[in-house]
Amino acid sequence: MNHSSNHALDAPFAIEIKDLVKTYRSSFKKETFKAVDKVSINIKAGEVYGLIGPNGSGKSTTMKALLGLISPTSGLCKVFGCDSTKVDARSEIGFLPENPYFYKHQTSSETLKFYGNLCGMRGKYLNNKVNELLELTSLTHARNRRLGGYSKGMLQRVGLAQALIQNPKLLILDEPTAGVDPIGSREIRDLIFRLKEEGVTIFLCSHLLEQVQEVCDRVGIIFEGQMVNEGTLDELTAIENQHEVILENADEGLLESISELVRQHSSSGAKIVSSQTPRSSLEKLFIDTANNRKNKKS
Amino acid sequence: MSVSPESFKKTSFISLARIGVIASHTFTQLVRMKVFYFLIAFVILLWGAKQVIFQNETGGDTSPEQELRLIKSTGFAAMNMFSMLLALSATALLIPKDIEDRTLYTILCKPVPRLDYLLGKLLGVLALIFVSLVAMDLVLCFFLDQKYSEIIDIQTLTYTRQGMPQDMIEAKLANINAHGVSINIHLASFAIFLKAIVIASIALLISTFSTSTLFTLILTLIIIVIGLIQSDAREYADTMAKFGVENQLSKISLMVAVFFPDLQFLSIEDGVIDGHAVPLSIMGRITILSLFYLAIYVILSWFTFRKKEF
Ligand SMILES: Nc1ncnc2c1ncn2[C@@H]1O[C@H](COP(=O)(O)OP(=O)(O)O)[C@@H](O)[C@H]1O
Ligand SMILES: [Mg+2]
Repeated sequence: MNHSSNHALDAPFAIEIKDLVKTYRSSFKKETFKAVDKVSINIKAGEVYGLIGPNGSGKSTTMKALLGLISPTSGLCKVFGCDSTKVDARSEIGFLPENPYFYKHQTSSETLKFYGNLCGMRGKYLNNKVNELLELTSLTHARNRRLGGYSKGMLQRVGLAQALIQNPKLLILDEPTAGVDPIGSREIRDLIFRLKEEGVTIFLCSHLLEQVQEVCDRVGIIFEGQMVNEGTLDELTAIENQHEVILENADEGLLESISELVRQHSSSGAKIVSSQTPRSSLEKLFIDTANNRKNKKS
Repeated sequence: MSVSPESFKKTSFISLARIGVIASHTFTQLVRMKVFYFLIAFVILLWGAKQVIFQNETGGDTSPEQELRLIKSTGFAAMNMFSMLLALSATALLIPKDIEDRTLYTILCKPVPRLDYLLGKLLGVLALIFVSLVAMDLVLCFFLDQKYSEIIDIQTLTYTRQGMPQDMIEAKLANINAHGVSINIHLASFAIFLKAIVIASIALLISTFSTSTLFTLILTLIIIVIGLIQSDAREYADTMAKFGVENQLSKISLMVAVFFPDLQFLSIEDGVIDGHAVPLSIMGRITILSLFYLAIYVILSWFTFRKKEF
């Protein structure tokens, strides 16, 4: 496959959501409630797009509409130019639902085979794909255990593997790192990077902002069903006129002379906003500790 | 490669392979829920029925048949109950469970038409019931045949001792013969399977629009009960009509029959317990009727499930 940029230009959008509205009727009162309100998103082939917003802001609803699980009240959703209410649209989509549960009676390799079969895959080709995906999601050691005994993070990885089974061109991930430990979520992030290199379009959503930051080309912010902001991460977050310097082994004297230097430039408006010892983040500490353990073992 | 709509693989509307995948998955799921354990209970039950010996004070020769009848009626009652329970609960539980666990999301997000999903689930349940009924049918035949040989041996001995002539003995034994293992047992088992088909497809329909498992179970049960008593109601109406009592009951019950299957009509095991042979025309009729109900309920299920939102 060739995903060079000039081709991507004349390709239709991988995802085209236009003025999507989804209203739910609350069962007790007559009033309707707009879970998604005129959301439009266009995602180019090969792009990684992150939808962020608080709980209940309509992220999952948008994804369900894109998958044909619900039909839009108005507006339309297209996947590679194909209306998403059609079954055909799903042949190129891999979906990881929020908190995925699978059949507890199956092992992970049975689960992957089952989903592969549903996509019309058979025989040796499927077996190879299953092995490859189990390896990719580091589940090979647990492949013959029933999912009933899997942890949340492992289920999440089964979910990812399942989504990838038919080599879809588009991956839709609903809260891919929710409830997963920092190492697991890092692995998922790395996996997303890898898939991106292979040219897979990825549409993910999350309410945890840090996790999205590094992977997304573009980010949309959704709030109470409405898209409130959209752009590249740099556009959205950069504080253009600030710069961060982190020093190591700097003594008092050096710090003093730096402050002095800055004071000399104060005519141009330069000033030190803050100066402190940076704290290792709890996440970093967690990962370092785990890595140390692992290194000691091996 | 630019991705255009033409590059999509066409997903066929109905694919037997895909239905087979879902059906065999459902079958495995049920097997792993250990439903086959009831077979042990069934064996014990029939073994118990086989031990029963009717004391006969008068010295008449009706009791040997009674003992065979007992085995048959116990067997058929258990088969009926089990297949109904399974058809009802498995179908009513599986789809709501898929929705609650969100496993349905992952299935419908693959290129799987919703009709294929429904048919797969239904066929999986029916396959399980079929296999169980075959097993129970064999168990029943085994015990029936054992009892039959025992009775024949004992009776031949008794009659010979009584000094009965050979041709008379044979005539008496022929009477018992009608209660032995024959094709009719299998036909009755098959009719039980047909009933299970109808019940499972009703449960399927209800579970496609119901929002709770309990509701599905109760509503399906009500329909089963209506199905079991409606022929009595019709009979009652006919009797009243003969006496010249005008009533709407017969009209109503006809309308009922359109929407609620007459399960009594599908039952032929009573005749088989009595030792009658089942005419093929009746088998043909009940098979066609059941398949007709199946088709209607599946189409209705698909209708409600097609646009269902999750
Ligand atoms: N089937 C439904 N019926 C009624 N309301 C719903 C339904 N599904 C979602 N909602 C409501 O729509 C809103 C958006 O939900 P959702 O898309 O799941 O949010 P999130 O951004 O957390 O994924 C929520 O307020 C939720 O309560
Ligand atoms: Mg959500």
